[in-house]
Amino acid sequence: MPYYQTWEEFARAAEKLYLTAPMKVRVVIKYRHCDGNLRIKVTDDAVCLQYKTDQAQDVKKIEKLHGKLMRLMVSKESGAMETD
Amino acid sequence: MVLLENDSFLTELTRLFQKCRTTGSVAITLKKYDGRTKPVPRKGHPESYEPADNKCLLRASDGKKKISTVVSTKEVIKFQMAYSNLLRAHMDGLKKKDKKSKSKKTKATQ
Repeated sequence: MPYYQTWEEFARAAEKLYLTAPMKVRVVIKYRHCDGNLRIKVTDDAVCLQYKTDQAQDVKKIEKLHGKLMRLMVSKESGAMETD
Repeated sequence: MVLLENDSFLTELTRLFQKCRTTGSVAITLKKYDGRTKPVPRKGHPESYEPADNKCLLRASDGKKKISTVVSTKEVIKFQMAYSNLLRAHMDGLKKKDKKSKSKKTKATQ
């Protein structure tokens, strides 16, 4: 299962995957405080994209991506992209 | 799996994070939700749910306790603000990148 090396690639791939299959895609975030790491996975049960980090600067990025996908899921109009 | 209101979910999620500070992990899952409350019927039976396009399902677990909530368009703005603050406040155990000084804090004092 591939772990992306750069956040930009992961974020782009994740959004693209969601737009191709909005009903199938799920986003999983796993945080371990004791180990000090954070993982995010975006999958449609066929393709799996993963990113892991132990850097505090990535928390904001992950939280923003999560929020973006959440808003995409609740928006009725398909293809409505909000610029942050 | 406990289905909660958005506010209760946030409260319980805070508790999950606090519980897992010394051991364990917190897993959060996000998925688009179409509003069905019954399992997908086998072929031959008509689908009896009304498809909703504006909801998403959020689940959280610490391995033992499971909670979930449904967020719709009306609640998403308020929920997302509170949720972002929650994540940023609790996911603070990660390494901070300092270019100049090499981690002074992690040096064990003898």
